[in-house]
Amino acid sequence: MGRTLLIFRLVLADVRRHPAQAVMLLVSITAATAMLSLGMSLHGATETLYRQTRAATAGPDFVAFSPGSDRTATSALTSLEHAPEVVAHSGPYRQFSTTLTARGATANVVVQGAGATPGPVDRPLVTSGSWVRPGGVVVERGFANALGVHVGDHVTVAGRSLPIVGIAVTAAYTVYPWAEMGAEGPGDNSGLVWLNEPDTRALVSANLSVTSAIYLKLRDPAATQAFLDSHRASVDPNQTTTHFVTWQFMVVQDSVMLKDSQPILVIGSWLLCFLAIAGVATLAAGRAAKQTRRVGLLKAVGATPGFIAAVLLAEYLTLALLADALGLTAARLAEPALINPTASLITAAAGPTGTTIAVTTIIALAVAALTTLGPTVRALRTETVAALADTAHQPQHRAHLTRISAMLPAPLLLGLRLIARRPGRAILHACNMTATLTAIIALLMLNAQPARGYGLGGSSSLTNLKVDQGRHMMLAVTAALIILAVINTITITWTTAQEARPTMAIARTLGATPGQITAGLSVAQLLPTLPGALAGIPMGITLCLIFSAGDVTWPPAWLLFTAALAALPATAALTAVPARIAARKSVAQTLSAEAT
Amino acid sequence: MNEFGGVVRVRGLFKEHGQGQGLVRAVDGVDLEVPAGQMLAVMGPSGCGKSTLLHLLGGLERPSDGQVWLAGQRIDTVNERGLARLRRRSVGFVFQAFHLIEELSAAENVELPVLLAGRSARAARRRAAFLLERFGLADRTRHLPWQLSGGQRQRVAIARAMANEPLVLLADEPTGNLDTAATLDVLRIFADLRAAGQTLVVVTHDERVAATADRLVTMRDGMFVDDTQLAGRTGRLDGLIGLED
Amino acid sequence: MQDAVLAMLAKEPSHGYQLRARLRRVLGPLGESMNAGQVYVTLARLERAGLVVCERVDGLPDRPDRKVYALTSAGQQRVAAWLTEVGWPKPDLAEFHLKLAAAAAARLADPVELVDAQRRELLRRLGEAQRALLAEPDGSTAGLLLEGVALRLQADLRWLEACERVWSRAGYESEGG
Repeated sequence: MGRTLLIFRLVLADVRRHPAQAVMLLVSITAATAMLSLGMSLHGATETLYRQTRAATAGPDFVAFSPGSDRTATSALTSLEHAPEVVAHSGPYRQFSTTLTARGATANVVVQGAGATPGPVDRPLVTSGSWVRPGGVVVERGFANALGVHVGDHVTVAGRSLPIVGIAVTAAYTVYPWAEMGAEGPGDNSGLVWLNEPDTRALVSANLSVTSAIYLKLRDPAATQAFLDSHRASVDPNQTTTHFVTWQFMVVQDSVMLKDSQPILVIGSWLLCFLAIAGVATLAAGRAAKQTRRVGLLKAVGATPGFIAAVLLAEYLTLALLADALGLTAARLAEPALINPTASLITAAAGPTGTTIAVTTIIALAVAALTTLGPTVRALRTETVAALADTAHQPQHRAHLTRISAMLPAPLLLGLRLIARRPGRAILHACNMTATLTAIIALLMLNAQPARGYGLGGSSSLTNLKVDQGRHMMLAVTAALIILAVINTITITWTTAQEARPTMAIARTLGATPGQITAGLSVAQLLPTLPGALAGIPMGITLCLIFSAGDVTWPPAWLLFTAALAALPATAALTAVPARIAARKSVAQTLSAEAT
Repeated sequence: MNEFGGVVRVRGLFKEHGQGQGLVRAVDGVDLEVPAGQMLAVMGPSGCGKSTLLHLLGGLERPSDGQVWLAGQRIDTVNERGLARLRRRSVGFVFQAFHLIEELSAAENVELPVLLAGRSARAARRRAAFLLERFGLADRTRHLPWQLSGGQRQRVAIARAMANEPLVLLADEPTGNLDTAATLDVLRIFADLRAAGQTLVVVTHDERVAATADRLVTMRDGMFVDDTQLAGRTGRLDGLIGLED
Repeated sequence: MQDAVLAMLAKEPSHGYQLRARLRRVLGPLGESMNAGQVYVTLARLERAGLVVCERVDGLPDRPDRKVYALTSAGQQRVAAWLTEVGWPKPDLAEFHLKLAAAAAARLADPVELVDAQRRELLRRLGEAQRALLAEPDGSTAGLLLEGVALRLQADLRWLEACERVWSRAGYESEGG
């Protein structure tokens, strides 16, 4: 007990002494776990929402469509309702394919004839206003959102202006803009509205394409495919006219809306994990010397290796767990806004599954452990006396780099020699840049792809929600990556500056100006930035090509190169401040601190 | 060389560290003039301000009050950049802890100030080779500092300090970390340099190092308490041993 | 000096000038102040004491010195005794110490100033010893003697520092108190 308390006290003291590092660790792991948790949640999210909507609206197991509204069409459908497996049905209803205009946007629309009281199957959930009444139209929520209309607004359906009396959600149709499920019709993106049955007569006379639909509930909702297989022949011997849609198909179709977002989030979370590892590893390495000394002190007062390992790891692991919890919470809070982009389903967040929690926790702990284990083990292995004397580091000689740098002006010379000190860190920084630029390039690629709007004939007066969702996700991932990259760049510069302080102080005594030192520290970060950023271009393009189907529209090459080259001034600006602060430190003090 | 005839000259020099209760006068009203070619030793107990004085002379620190001239140029009013240029051209520092750059070889350490002064890589290489040869390190040029003994490291440090032919060499306890033999090596180099006309200021607490100087000032609590000319005698050694009878 | 000259003869009988050269070699730069007369005076004393015998030999024409000195058996005994002797010169600090005390007591002079003057003198001597030492090659026997001289002077200087510390604190009022 006392020992646990002691560990806790040591950890707390350390966090209090280095709050910025704790915050950095927290931020990077939180971002990574939140993104990962979201990415993983998307997979089952649509099904959860659909099932929820289905339960709330008595959604059908099965919808059968037949072209036309004459007796042949309806009798084929009604024959189904007598099948022994069917426990309930609604309809047949007539539905018309026409166009709807609201607030200047025109779109295809499926007008579903509806009774004043819905039947036992498919009882759309009215989320605002009321259900259909003569002379009023109910707009499906996803469609209403896309049009930006509310109860009380007027829409023009097949040339007739009608007030919106309600907005509703249904499980009998696939989400906006895929209301057109019949075998015939334009097959284009369509919204859905309900119109009182008597009001549809005007549409019949307008000679619009009409389909009959019946909603069926089966005894065994899982057995829809078997039912379909056994009855298709009897309903529609030619198998040409009748069209069946199962609720399982709707789930699959609905989840297409999130198809682009998922890989973006998952791959984004990998990149974030990498940046988190890079940042935390830099921090841990920067503290390694101090940590080794601390271990020496603990050993000197008689602490066992196990106890010391607990002290060293406890801090990072605790922070990692905290970050994991924060990330999962953030994902849970963000989820409703992401998983139902069309609003055609009842919005409810399912929360992360056990698997998601397990995976993010393992990854958070792995990031912390991976990055601190090395320094910890090294610290534990170092002889107590050597650890106290702080002489563990034996520098490597990089004659080649040194020789090249001798021919360059002073800032480049100092910068190259800083890189020669810690080439691993330069590589880390380059990878940092690659990861960030990969996302930025992917974002540019994604935005360059043409998106067919949901308006009439692909008009962009109505936004393509699927593409839009993907772009938003990409933007969020890129923003998170940029923030982590900024934090990492500052961390790397600061750590490098701290480590190189004695060397830079010596250079100052030899006549290097503070400006040259600042420039040298910046150059040490700028040199790896360029190849790292350029490598991001093919990486980003490759990622986009993997996930894009068909033709790719290329953004102008100058745009991609500008994005990569913009990393240079950005890095210069980011490194300038920590480098300048480091260069201003008193030389005499640094040297005397070094001598003791 | 200049109107004062001294390479280094300070007037009314003060330097304070800390503030309030913790205020320490490291240098408390010092006047000093070091003529060209002189080897000056500054002695005193630790904490008497002798290292701070050296830092002030080389422009590593700025005085709280007073003036410092180096080769006739006021340096206490020069900005950081100017001071850096001055250190590059006119001052060479040698420290007790050597302060070599650990990941650079002996030769590369010596080349560094030449490169910083903007001269070519070839010039730097030649200068380093010449100095290391002169200080008996011709076979150690490619060694990293940790592969060298303390005495060798200090000789590399002196070579580095001499790389740009400074007007004055400032040494802070140069033998503090060395054994007797290595101390003698360093003192021999100093004697060589002085014979060649180099101005040297050596801060030390070792009487044997101080005694080899031309002149010795003693510092206590930031002030000079004694100023003795040591050289200028016949150089005869009678009286050092008693063999009479 | 007598014992040292005797011991030098133990190897073989030698001419006076040979003896002097050998002494100078061992003493190094410190032996340069030793003049020829000193060696001959010492040899004459040793001869009178019966520790050394002197034989005239026919030397070469260019060697005016024809005398060869050799140890007598008494001389040999004296050398043997000298070698086993563990006597060591006693540090003679009491005189200076008393000087300071007396000066302080009688207010004749400021003891701190006396210390300072003494210190300057010792520093000059140390400087000479150190410079001579720097001129010696590493590991020379003569250098060893200079090293010893320098170390003793260094010890004396440190003692003077202690003297200064105490006397500057004590001021004039102290009288062995």
